[in-house]
Amino acid sequence: MIRGTVIGQVWATRKARGLDGQTLLLVAARDAEGRATGRLVVASDTLDARAGDDVTVAFGSGARIVLRPGAADNRDVLCDAAIAAIVEGAG
Amino acid sequence: MFLGRVAGTVWSTVKWPSAQGMKLLLVRPYRVGDLGPGAAPAPGATGSEPTDDLVVCADTLDAGPGDDVIVAFGHAARVAVSEKLAPGAKPSVPIDAAVVAVVDRVEIPR
Repeated sequence: MIRGTVIGQVWATRKARGLDGQTLLLVAARDAEGRATGRLVVASDTLDARAGDDVTVAFGSGARIVLRPGAADNRDVLCDAAIAAIVEGAG
Repeated sequence: MFLGRVAGTVWSTVKWPSAQGMKLLLVRPYRVGDLGPGAAPAPGATGSEPTDDLVVCADTLDAGPGDDVIVAFGHAARVAVSEKLAPGAKPSVPIDAAVVAVVDRVEIPR
């Protein structure tokens, strides 16, 4: 997972069917000291995160679990990055 | 997933059989500094140029040079590609990056 800050949102009409209905947020990754690394990721959001929120982003099968919690089979989920938590503090 | 701009196309005649007929694009990812506040003045354009290293991705959405796209990695990329295969077919293609959306608009609040 990475930690980052939500900086905006992306809209697309022409997209793979598996992305229908997903909110896609732009997240600027941060390093251990909290500085922006420059890397931008697009993550699916189910937690209603807003621009300016500090979040963690899960990748790969972790992201699929966020999007379909408790499902026996989530191999058809089309998402490789999802907001896993809205961060309140980090030390 | 990442946001990037299509920079070009890759051709290949010798490839894994299950990847035959697949269009490959070169996509340059955006970095934080490439997108100013309030980016995206026009549909399909963020108004700025990406600067990161190129990534080769499969394309099933007919994206072309200059389009801003979202690219997914890993299993999600194979799921996207398999949407074009017969129903129930397993996405066993040697692909780990695919265009999953052609971007209309990017909104970055000030």
